[in-house]
Amino acid sequence: MSMDGPVSVARSLGGGTPGAERGGVPVFELDGLSVDYGSFRAVEDIDLAIGANEITAFIGPSGCGKTTVLRCLNRMNDLIPSARVHGAVRYHGVDLYGPRIDPVEVRRRMGMVFQKPNPFPKSIYENVAFGPRVTGHQGNLDELVEHSLRRAALWDEVKDKLRQSAYALSGGQQQRLCIARAIATNPDVVLMDEPCSALDPIATLRIEELMIELKQDYTIIIVTHNMQQAARVSDRTAFFTVDIKETGARTGRLVEFDDTGKIFTKPSQRATEDYITGRFG
Amino acid sequence: MTTDHSDARHRFAESLDEVRTGMLELGGLVLENTRRMGEALLENRLDLARTVVGADEEIDQRYSRLEFRVFEIMARQQPVAGDLRFLVSATRILYEIERSGDLAVNGAKGLLRRDGYTLPPHMHSLVARLARASADLFARGLDALRSLDPEAATAIDRADDEVDEVVGELYRAIARNAENIGFDLAIELSRIGRYLERIGDHAVNIAEHVAFVVTGSFPGGDPSAIQDE
Ligand SMILES: Nc1ncnc2c1ncn2[C@@H]1O[C@H](COP(=O)(O)OP(=O)(O)O)[C@@H](O)[C@H]1O
Ligand SMILES: [Mg+2]
Repeated sequence: MSMDGPVSVARSLGGGTPGAERGGVPVFELDGLSVDYGSFRAVEDIDLAIGANEITAFIGPSGCGKTTVLRCLNRMNDLIPSARVHGAVRYHGVDLYGPRIDPVEVRRRMGMVFQKPNPFPKSIYENVAFGPRVTGHQGNLDELVEHSLRRAALWDEVKDKLRQSAYALSGGQQQRLCIARAIATNPDVVLMDEPCSALDPIATLRIEELMIELKQDYTIIIVTHNMQQAARVSDRTAFFTVDIKETGARTGRLVEFDDTGKIFTKPSQRATEDYITGRFG
Repeated sequence: MTTDHSDARHRFAESLDEVRTGMLELGGLVLENTRRMGEALLENRLDLARTVVGADEEIDQRYSRLEFRVFEIMARQQPVAGDLRFLVSATRILYEIERSGDLAVNGAKGLLRRDGYTLPPHMHSLVARLARASADLFARGLDALRSLDPEAATAIDRADDEVDEVVGELYRAIARNAENIGFDLAIELSRIGRYLERIGDHAVNIAEHVAFVVTGSFPGGDPSAIQDE
């Protein structure tokens, strides 16, 4: 199968080789990132560097801006008219908000999985084939669909019913289908926004296993409000919180970003400890 | 965050307090038994020695109950960070306390096995000093746990050096007087020295575990610095 690898992805956006990035140029660098929705400042002054082939978890109370920050990484905030992004987001060293960057191309390089499984009202096959078709995939589509479904640990369950509607699948299967769809365009980053919150524990465990499996090939960032999930699957954890200003405005900020083992055994900030041990509010 | 959630976490915090109180009570029983054992030896009192042996049953039962409680909390609450450090350390502190209790019993059983023995005056004062010093050390270990004082370990470690010194003196006195006091008593007294010295070591370990609970690292930085049985 001949597909653009992450290497060429990085090159097309001017970066280096992802494999060489441990300790080198991170996949993402956020530098003084702030996001406004109209006159409301949702998150302020975020500095963060995310390494290749790692799972990074964003945790923190709801409204602290996890989704907002995640949406800056693939320029999804462009789709929200009131959203303004300040500071720098670098992807493989390249300014994602620079003048020569095509946001559609950026989104193609970063698969996204949402909280509620959202397959298209089409067959299982077409759900996976859709992205590659749109982006003009040249190779064998059947092979690509099979490969993506295998990578998403769904192939064995659906190989005999590829033409059936995606809606006939269980919630957990639908979410794995969405992951297959996200990786079918061969991204090098997969962004997941609370991907398991609508799933039962067994389906959740399968997705978690899948994430660990996929990080060999992808850089994964997951927003989760399940702290045990962050502890189980992620390599690094970023803890965000909300500050309430004198004006009553609630602005999110990054409190602590460190190895997940460290965060869950000996966090360096009191606020992190209080949150992960449930002593908040 | 729902009320249920806060309630559950509130109960969780209470259950951690319960464990700490339980450990302190258990430690109190062991401390009492350690002092009783010293008194039994110094005054050659078989009745006290029997009380020491009898009291150990309750100590063992409380130990098992607390240890089970800790496992149950870990399984049900999936603690992290400071809570995790506390609960893991609790199993170790419980072990240190329970072992100390056994050492007190060993001393008492030695007296009973010999149907009592009288210490020669020089030995008597050395054993008295040693018994007081290691009981004091054990009390300080429990104080560290009560106040969650991470600094206590360093001070207790210094006090432990004094215990080691008295033990050395006792051993030398035993060696000098082995023939006078008889082979069997000489061996028993060196055992007593060893038991009391070990109780002091357990007290140091308790204080080190407390430092780990509070700071996330052991005094001196290396968990292997903790002395082994
Ligand atoms: N499209 C939007 N328009 C206006 N405000 C928004 C929008 N999306 C999010 N917000 C606000 O920004 C803050 C951060 O939201 P979000 O990033 O969704 O937080 P989280 O994902 O951590 O729950 C919240 O106060 C939220 O109400
Ligand atoms: Mg969100």
